[in-house]
Amino acid sequence: MEIKKSKEKYDVIIVGSGAAGGITTKILTDAGLKVALIEAGPYFDPADPEQQTQFKPTWASPRRGSSVTRRFGDFHMSYGDWKVDGEPYSSVEDTDFMWWRSRMLGGRTNHWGRIASRLGPKDFKCKDFYDLDENWPITYEDIKPYYDKLDKLIGVFGTKENLPNDPDGFFLPPPKPRLHELYYIKGAKKSGINVIPSRLSVLTKRINNQRGICMFCGQCERSCSVYACFSSSSSLVIPSLKGGLVDLYTDSMVRKVNTDKNGIATGVSFINKKNGKEYSIKSKVVVLGASSCSSARILLNSKSNEHPNGLGNSSGLIGKYLQDTVGTSKQIFVPELMNRKTYNEDGVGGAHVYTPWWLHDKKLDFPIGYHIETSYRNLGMPQFGIGGYIPNDFNKFFGLRVGGYGEQIRKDVKKYWGSTIALESRGGAIPDINNYCEIDGNKKDKYGIPVLKFNYKWADTEYNQAKHAQDIYEELAHNMNGIMIGDKPGKDQNYGISTPGSIIHEVGTTRMGNNPNTSVVNKYERLHDVDNVYVVDAGPFVFKGDKNPTWTIMALAWRTSDHIISELKKQNL
Amino acid sequence: MANIRPHNFRTKKTEFIMKRRDSIKTIILSSIGASLTLEGCISPLNENVSEKIWEYRYGRTPYEKDRDKKFLNAQFFNNSELRTIERIANIIIPPNEFGNINDAGVVEMIEFIAKDWSTPAHNNYGENVLRKGLIVLNKLFENKFNNKLTDCSDDQIKSIFDIISYNDGIEEDFKEAASFFATYRYMVVTGWFTSEVGMRDLGYKGNIPNVWDGVPEDVLKDHDVSYDEEWIAKCVDQSKRNETAVWDEDGNLLT
Repeated sequence: MEIKKSKEKYDVIIVGSGAAGGITTKILTDAGLKVALIEAGPYFDPADPEQQTQFKPTWASPRRGSSVTRRFGDFHMSYGDWKVDGEPYSSVEDTDFMWWRSRMLGGRTNHWGRIASRLGPKDFKCKDFYDLDENWPITYEDIKPYYDKLDKLIGVFGTKENLPNDPDGFFLPPPKPRLHELYYIKGAKKSGINVIPSRLSVLTKRINNQRGICMFCGQCERSCSVYACFSSSSSLVIPSLKGGLVDLYTDSMVRKVNTDKNGIATGVSFINKKNGKEYSIKSKVVVLGASSCSSARILLNSKSNEHPNGLGNSSGLIGKYLQDTVGTSKQIFVPELMNRKTYNEDGVGGAHVYTPWWLHDKKLDFPIGYHIETSYRNLGMPQFGIGGYIPNDFNKFFGLRVGGYGEQIRKDVKKYWGSTIALESRGGAIPDINNYCEIDGNKKDKYGIPVLKFNYKWADTEYNQAKHAQDIYEELAHNMNGIMIGDKPGKDQNYGISTPGSIIHEVGTTRMGNNPNTSVVNKYERLHDVDNVYVVDAGPFVFKGDKNPTWTIMALAWRTSDHIISELKKQNL
Repeated sequence: MANIRPHNFRTKKTEFIMKRRDSIKTIILSSIGASLTLEGCISPLNENVSEKIWEYRYGRTPYEKDRDKKFLNAQFFNNSELRTIERIANIIIPPNEFGNINDAGVVEMIEFIAKDWSTPAHNNYGENVLRKGLIVLNKLFENKFNNKLTDCSDDQIKSIFDIISYNDGIEEDFKEAASFFATYRYMVVTGWFTSEVGMRDLGYKGNIPNVWDGVPEDVLKDHDVSYDEEWIAKCVDQSKRNETAVWDEDGNLLT
């Protein structure tokens, strides 16, 4: 896309075109505001045949889909992963953090798991219920209308369950469970563990004439060419471009927010990746939706005489309280699922069932629960590595010889295909001021922008949470007449707990609160220090519980957009 | 509008497969038929061949496309190595009614991966693992039969594979060869079952637009599981999927 050096002043500059930037662009332009949308990656449309990977068979790739240029394989729709060429980051010694970036229109919404969960009432009152340091300054009731509007605008399937902390919404009907999911339901029931239909942003039923209906290819992570699963590019940004109120700047890396001598934001500076030149554009309002850590980085890099610690950082808290989801997983081999009859079981691109946190009233040695997700591609299209390095490794469970070649190997691959179930816990992390990202004083990326350094450690209670999940997996494996594959990870292996950042749910770096000394943005995601700068990604999250953050990012961003429109009307901005 | 354009995947798929078949033939014929032997380095193939090989269309970025092209237009293994891989592959996965190793593009895939994984990050996999593996395996055959692997009979090859292909009781002398054999088995099994013919062999039925309406009855019966009626009542009625969703104010779906 050609860079426009516009002299005009936009109403709003939005940085980032993912979940947050997409919904903000839609709401603001629907209200007639003139918007500049800035994206660090290229234009992307899942319907563009040149970019489409959906429905490509594995053999369309000369490396059969293996992970060489894309971390999750050739067909996964993310340009960029935990590594982005020329954009390094570091971790403080003894810690490790993995930072995912998708550089493309729509960002990470092109490949996300479409899990569209709402935070529950307890998650907002996390100090009261989980003994954490702060509650959110807003309640579930404040945000509920926006969740409801999102459900109707964007679509999510699920069922009404009346659970205490997993609120219902306006759901489309879910798909029926797959075979291994029926095994999971049966196994869970034996232990009194609840299983309900998943809540995914996939259109199992028509919601409008702009988007198609699910074709059950199981490939949501490739981004849908008929727009049946939600991505910000297909469902928000591309439709908004048709209204003529958006100037889209792609391949543009924002360096900083510019301010005047009164400390008020005047616009942003960015580097055009195509020609390496720097540009600046002006606006009345700047909205950052670049992702928690990217927005924190931009603010920290926006130093000036008026904002010597970075923009909006008088509290010194930007980058602090970084949280990722606590995860641990296990593969289970279920002999009853051997020698399967085959049929098309691709389904939607995610599990059709899941277990929401079920032990609300039980005293445990960790404060925050987790939900359990299951694998879904059990009879899915074979990818590189099918059969595993030793295709008949499971023979050892039956005292048969492991290895061989010829017809034996062919038969064994077929015998074991689809006979494993992966279980993955996704748990709430504890907001901790000592988990943070900050500017690394020694390093710049290839655009000359100072990069981030991370410091993140799990708390003891988070290890306890992972241990609990592994114990449950063992019980469920037993209930399904199955066997955990490999050793159950014990204390020496940290219960298999995920590396921070690896679940790709980072939140919390520009904390929301009423007190400017203990938070960065107010309850409308507006910087306490500067009236015309907002942060609409997951940075303002005080806490996210065990929930996947996307739906809450968008609900909050919509609420903030309404606030911006109202403030502009009142000429407060 | 772009987002509701009609899809005809079946037709497209067939065309695509036809082209792919031609390209597989091209590389196998050209690599084995060529008279030049290229040792130890990646060398360019001739122009005509490289043009034909570029049939892969799977949504690449410009960077990825260039990378693929570079490797598709170069040759890593010499002809004798390619013939050795083909022979090994045919014994690891013998031909059946669905096709053979060449139909599945297995040699072509291994040739590509040798270049694709030859970066320092992959520890020069092509040279250190794939080529070295062939050298180690060939040495076994020369010691035992005084012949190259490709000049041995099927029975001779199998007599060695019977020793090195199992995990149990491998003697120290065979350990290195066993590990390289396992690598090639991994590559061949992957190459077979990710190919069109191999997926048919496996029985994979998906990757096409369809309307999922649950596990087939006979499968449910075989596994002694059933759908809970209350659960199913909440699931999508596929006959009404095209009716626009409307809810009452409590979130109950009306359509």
